[in-house]
Amino acid sequence: MSSLGINFLGVDFKNPLVTSSGCFGFGMEYKDYFDPNILGGIGIKGLTLEPRDGNYGTRIAETPSGMLNCVGLENPGIEYFKKVTLPLMKKEGINTNIIANINGSTIEDYIKIAKEVENIPEIKIIELNISCPNVKDGGMAFGANPEVAGRVTKEVRNVTTKPLVVKLSPNVTDIAGIAKIVEENGADAISLINTVLGMAIDIRSKKPLLGNTFGGLSGPAVKPIALRMVYQVYKAVKIPIIGMGGIASPEDALEFIMAGATLVSVGSVIFPNPLLPVEIIEGMEKYCKDNGIANISELIGIVHR
Amino acid sequence: MFLEDCKILENVEVAKNMYLMKLKGTKAIPETVSGQFFMLQCKNSGVFLRRPISIHYINKKESVLEFYYEVKGKGTKDLSAAKTGDYINIQGPLGNGFIKEGTGKKVLVIGGGMGIAPMKYLLEELNNLGSNITFIAGGRNRGALKILDNIDLKGIITHITTDDGSQGTHGRVDMKMRELLEKERYDLVYTCGPEKMMESVAKIATENNIKCFVSLEARMACGVKACVGCSIKTKDGMKKVCHDGPVFDSTIIVEMNPKEKTETCCGN
Ligand SMILES: Cc1cc2nc3c(=O)[nH]c(=O)nc-3n(C[C@H](O)[C@H](O)[C@H](O)COP(=O)(O)OP(=O)(O)OC[C@H]3O[C@@H](n4cnc5c(N)ncnc54)[C@H](O)[C@@H]3O)c2cc1C
Ligand SMILES: Cc1cc2nc3c(=O)[nH]c(=O)nc-3n(C[C@H](O)[C@H](O)[C@H](O)COP(=O)(O)O)c2cc1C
Ligand code: FES
Repeated sequence: MSSLGINFLGVDFKNPLVTSSGCFGFGMEYKDYFDPNILGGIGIKGLTLEPRDGNYGTRIAETPSGMLNCVGLENPGIEYFKKVTLPLMKKEGINTNIIANINGSTIEDYIKIAKEVENIPEIKIIELNISCPNVKDGGMAFGANPEVAGRVTKEVRNVTTKPLVVKLSPNVTDIAGIAKIVEENGADAISLINTVLGMAIDIRSKKPLLGNTFGGLSGPAVKPIALRMVYQVYKAVKIPIIGMGGIASPEDALEFIMAGATLVSVGSVIFPNPLLPVEIIEGMEKYCKDNGIANISELIGIVHR
Repeated sequence: MFLEDCKILENVEVAKNMYLMKLKGTKAIPETVSGQFFMLQCKNSGVFLRRPISIHYINKKESVLEFYYEVKGKGTKDLSAAKTGDYINIQGPLGNGFIKEGTGKKVLVIGGGMGIAPMKYLLEELNNLGSNITFIAGGRNRGALKILDNIDLKGIITHITTDDGSQGTHGRVDMKMRELLEKERYDLVYTCGPEKMMESVAKIATENNIKCFVSLEARMACGVKACVGCSIKTKDGMKKVCHDGPVFDSTIIVEMNPKEKTETCCGN
């Protein structure tokens, strides 16, 4: 195994770098800039049972060191994904690990889509996004309520044999508490953080800038929050972590690994710098070589020791 | 699609807050067509995202890429501050470009304000196709039309309108369009400009049974269909302005900017 090779939940990753859901399309969009198969894995856009149009109006806003988005989970739906998108990904030669991000408005939705994904052999790992609004519970995010977060994890666990990663929302007061509950309910790993709830106002129209009023903040602006949460969750649980939030350099990626992440995921910073994944992989390799580290796993959670 | 550092040959203020930037030859030049755009990024810029700017012109002989842009906020301010000899990173060409059906046809090209930007290269391409071209260029005032000095209008029937009457006809491009349609018939309309202007032009074109292509804008993060930030609703479903556009057949667009608002948590 190379210095970056790592086994995560029984799946071999050639390196610990993956892409974050919603920031790398379906893995093919950046192929003119670099070969997506150099990535340890590809996290694809969040999928729902039915196709979704997403939110209307402005969906993107620039912020200091980051951005807000309110895409609203626009996606083609699981059927289309199976019939059209996945075959296209294969035709384009994508052969690295695929992580499917699944979403729902009710627990029943989550169960149904998890059952669908269970039967897709190309999907190596399921990432359960619990930042979605729970329509039967007043629209509050599933991940904001420990009891609901535990329940949706357990229900999905019951219908899938694939490794199950639960993706946490940072918009909570006790991230470690939520992490423990999803661990108790059968999560194999935790990924964090999703976007931080924010907003922007257009002072010319005197209206919220985003079509959805609120949007998720991502990019370097959220990195210190994300790193702190990875650190706290590592202390609280035994299962591995996928760390993300504002990663913009190899140094950032190493910080997340040292705080406790087994895999690191790049998101929004790919937009201004499409070559970021290449830079991070090379930078991590160099760090290992320069510091006499045989395998990057030696660094996981090292700050806690 | 390429990512390249390009040397700035020239970055001059054509009129107040409106700049023309010329970049030295790039790998992208051979495959770039009018209506496409690039995501630009200044070195050491304080802004996070790249900025989408249309291709204004390509001088293939001298291998020069031109952009015409207006300073609006921080990103374009940074662009305007870049100096000759500096480098700028460009990503592209992106999007579909104008769908040229102009061969031997009678076409009406309508650019309003910054919407004149993509027209210089379009006019040349249409010319090469042997089209019969009428061009309506409109702007707030004389300054907004200064860029026309940089466009070869030989053999093109050109009409100018300004909102304040400081140059050409006092009025708007859509008024001029109606006026021309009273006497003339066109096969095709290409337009770019403020949303309201394009809505009006598209409406007039449809009323007159003329096919109309509009070049839309949307806030973009990636420019390559990876973030789903630039979607618009069309009769054929949701489309990405960065990938399926920015040029669309005006009849498939449902609403250029739906006013419906939602308010849910997160939003991803
Ligand atoms: C396909 C396409 C082609 C374009 N071509 C040109 C051109 O040739 N010349 C020109 O002057 N302008 C063009 N624009 C508009 C230009 O991208 C914006 O004016 C510019 O991004 C504003 O950035 P800023 O930082 O100065 O303004 P700010 O308002 O500070 O920008 C904040 C954020 O909003 C985005 N934004 C603001 N206004 C617009 C807009 N109208 N369209 C899209 N995004 C916007 C910015 O990209 C940025 O992410 C084009 C836009 C698109 C989508
Ligand atoms: C445009 C955009 C779309 C996103 N879509 C999803 C999604 O569908 N599912 C999900 O779990 N997270 C989604 N996210 C969140 C990211 O996967 C990631 O958790 C977050 O952006 C923080 O990482 P970053 O700062 O590196 O971008 C999205 C983020 C952005 C910017
Ligand atoms: S800008 Fe990202 S999908 Fe169009």
